[in-house]
Amino acid sequence: MSRSLNWGIVTSLVLVLLADAGRAARGQAIGPGFELERSGRYADAASVYFTTLRSDPTNIPALLGLERTLFVLNRMPELLPPVQAARARQPDSPTLRSLELRVYAALNQPDSLEAIVRRWAASAPQSEAPYREWGLALADRRMWDEARRAFLIGSRSLGDGALAIELAELEQRAGNWEAAAAEWARAVTRSPDVAPNAASQLADAPAPLHDKVARVLTAPGASPRARRLAAEVLLTWGQPNEAWTAMEPTLASPPPDSDTPTALRRFADLAGALTTPDGHRVRGLALTRWSDMVPWSLGSRARAEAVRELLDGGDKVGARRVLEGLTSDSTAPSEAHAVAEAALLQVLIADGQLDVAEERLAAARTTLTADDRAALRLDLAKARVARGELDRAGAALGDDSSVATIAQRGWIALYRGDLKGAMDAFRIAGPYASDRAAATDRTAMMAMLQRIQQASSPELGAALLRLARGDSVAAIAALRRAATRLPEQGGRLEVLLLAGQVAAQKGAEQEPAATAMFDEIVRAGGEGAAPPAAELEWARLLVRTGRPAEAIPHLEHLILTYPNSAFVPEARRVLERAKGAIPKS
Amino acid sequence: MKRRDFVGRMGGWAVGLFSAPLVRPSAHRPISPSLLIPMDDAQSDHLKAYGLTYRAIQAGLKAEWLLNYRGGSFLIPDLDALRRDAALNGIRTERVDSAMTAVRGEIEANNMDAVPLEKAPKVAVYAPPNAAPWDDAVTMALQYAGIAFTKIWDPEVMNGSLRDYDWLHLHHEDFTGQYSKFFLIYSGMSWLAEMVQRNSDMAKRLGFPTVPDLKKAVARSIHAYVENGGFLFAMCTATETIDLALAAHNVDIAATFADGTPLDPDADAKLDWSQAFAFTGGHIETNPLVASFSDIDGHQVNGGARRQPLGAFKLFNFSAKIDPVPTMLVQDHRQVIPDFYGLTTSFTRNRLKPGVTILADEEGAPWVKYVHGDLGKGTWTFFGGHDPEDPQHQIGDPPTDLSLHPHSPGYRLILNNVLFPAAKKRELKT
Repeated sequence: MSRSLNWGIVTSLVLVLLADAGRAARGQAIGPGFELERSGRYADAASVYFTTLRSDPTNIPALLGLERTLFVLNRMPELLPPVQAARARQPDSPTLRSLELRVYAALNQPDSLEAIVRRWAASAPQSEAPYREWGLALADRRMWDEARRAFLIGSRSLGDGALAIELAELEQRAGNWEAAAAEWARAVTRSPDVAPNAASQLADAPAPLHDKVARVLTAPGASPRARRLAAEVLLTWGQPNEAWTAMEPTLASPPPDSDTPTALRRFADLAGALTTPDGHRVRGLALTRWSDMVPWSLGSRARAEAVRELLDGGDKVGARRVLEGLTSDSTAPSEAHAVAEAALLQVLIADGQLDVAEERLAAARTTLTADDRAALRLDLAKARVARGELDRAGAALGDDSSVATIAQRGWIALYRGDLKGAMDAFRIAGPYASDRAAATDRTAMMAMLQRIQQASSPELGAALLRLARGDSVAAIAALRRAATRLPEQGGRLEVLLLAGQVAAQKGAEQEPAATAMFDEIVRAGGEGAAPPAAELEWARLLVRTGRPAEAIPHLEHLILTYPNSAFVPEARRVLERAKGAIPKS
Repeated sequence: MKRRDFVGRMGGWAVGLFSAPLVRPSAHRPISPSLLIPMDDAQSDHLKAYGLTYRAIQAGLKAEWLLNYRGGSFLIPDLDALRRDAALNGIRTERVDSAMTAVRGEIEANNMDAVPLEKAPKVAVYAPPNAAPWDDAVTMALQYAGIAFTKIWDPEVMNGSLRDYDWLHLHHEDFTGQYSKFFLIYSGMSWLAEMVQRNSDMAKRLGFPTVPDLKKAVARSIHAYVENGGFLFAMCTATETIDLALAAHNVDIAATFADGTPLDPDADAKLDWSQAFAFTGGHIETNPLVASFSDIDGHQVNGGARRQPLGAFKLFNFSAKIDPVPTMLVQDHRQVIPDFYGLTTSFTRNRLKPGVTILADEEGAPWVKYVHGDLGKGTWTFFGGHDPEDPQHQIGDPPTDLSLHPHSPGYRLILNNVLFPAAKKRELKT
């Protein structure tokens, strides 16, 4: 290495170190100012910033520190000279220009403010910055009308959706949600990247204005992006049908633009947050349309998902249409075939085509997953029970040994009158088999069976089967008859309670029967859970039929007679309602 | 009972500490079987416990409020009817007889006190005739606890009926007469149209040119009621707007939509805060589209970028024997309570008049939550926020079911206010 080169490197290093030292010194000089500001000593902090500016007139952190502290101290006029001095040294600095605007706004000198903006705009004719800073400075001072004027001047001179976001946010701050929606529509039309922010902002519109906001976004002539924004916002508000109505026309416009698959997928994902049937249906529709726009590998899975959503949404026709396309498509992957087959079987069972479903289930043995097969067999067995076909129900369950299947076998045994067999099966199945509602039903039935000493009661089984088949009027009479064959403290009251509960749900026609049964149980009293439960049901019936005053003595009797009963907390709630002390929920 | 001079009493009690007051509960009183209603975590329904105590004193029985003892417990006679009432309402009671001697000893030795409760206050709620009970936290608390109240509105206030009541709660009324500034935001909504029509009709019927004029007159009547010994409790918007209405007795602070004329551009300067209960130096929110009234509220829930997030507020500790009134107002089994929004959520510290007692604040925040003061022979208490158990309450939200919140510490503060006027004035040794 030559001597001159060595000196060059050394010189460069020294210069770099000096530059770093300058930056560090600048930071050190201003550091105490920040600390003073943090501890609320604004006047002292301002002194530090002024001192810094004397040696470094364009020190931006010091100028910004002065902006903060002098505002609090109500000494904003003192900021103007150093800002103007800094601007003179760096005339093109956007930060200094913005600061100068804010200072004039704070000094309430609108004419000077506008003149500065005009000069800035003339030097940068394509830039939104001058107008944006102008409007924001005024908006920060809550001068909404003046801020709107500033943005509109910029918007008109720049055209094509310029400053739409700023206008939208301003209108929103001022509570003008319809105007905000119109500006967001302009903003998304100009740039699709704004859409998530626009949707999130408009989602906060007050509920009474939802319709008006949606109308602005879907007005005749609205751009597809504005309509999609409406769709997203409507989904956020829990209005899936209206959302789809807004979305669908944007898919038909020939040819769909390149944003369409992305927008549709986003729509489907957002709809996934809704748990209503309409939410499921609309998501299914979106997924179906999306699957038509993407390659098979992506689309087949989406189609299967769409079927489930359509079924959950109660749209069997729509689901079957998608399924028929899927199962007959030989190019679809086997996994997609399996999902489609399972869904199709669900549709058939739900439609009551049990023989067809049974045949198809047997034929699809290898196609379906073990879990799907077990679930479908269970559904089929339940559908057979609902027809009273207990043997075929048992056969449908096959040799499966899952706890859900064991529980179902328990029900079948119960309907045959085999009370002991049912109890044993329910015990083996345990408290967690199937879903929560099924587990609750099973536990309630076990509580009733526990009080009955007999191992079998064909009358009770037949009565319960009638109930399971939905023939509740006949079930009430059958249960009452079955109850008479049981001892009073050996299950009669519990079976009567079940009959009374069913009767109470049947409306005015069965009301006298329900009342008579509740009365009989309450009069009998005793140790079991039936008397307080019957009294609570009786009171509920009275409240429901507009006789809360008659319910109050029953509830008070229950609470005072059975203070340790598990029904007491609920009885107190009903009592509060009967007295009008809490709202009806 | 009404027009009790707590100001004089508090001073007197400080003297009484050193000079054996005449009727002060003490360990020497005869022991009779009583029911202790614990108000700590052992209580199964804190809110209904207030109702039970209220009904006991309403029936002419003696009760005591054991300040700071087990969360501010109550002592009532051990009677079958009260036991039945407690059982039906799920209120925990404990029979105490000889154990009370030890309890009273503990009360004497600590920052606690036993305050006799002698007569149930007659309660009025200022609310429009069609207001459902579920629109207002106080009404809900009264309903749930089983404390009877009468709804009154502008005609009753203007014809002097307030004198028939010991305690008045202001439903979340906008006393500036601007319909909570929902006029433009919710225009077209049937409930708002009905509210405007009802208020306009009432102004006409009572001979006022505009609704803001009527509300100013109502605010002045309520002010006079307190001066003459009434107990006032207000929440949410009523706190801020009644003071604005009082301070604006000679200036137009209502937007054009409310009275047909724009507000006075120099309104801020013309406000006369000497007429107000709690606040001073506030600045009016001039934008008719922003549902905010002034800078008194610290949280500005509808103030766009000015909106502040919710924190938690902390109840102050007072000396039970020297400051019994604020002590009663903060009796609770929780000292830190999650905050909740209202059109007026909190009160900026630097807008409070000197002499206002702060009962609860958010530590480190520039606002307070719960304040109290005296005016003439009466007292007032302001509590910010709408519903202690629905922190983000929106118009149209389902009502709060208090049976799901029987231990609500926020609702307890409301019920403290209902019961504290029942406290017996102690006679002073002269």
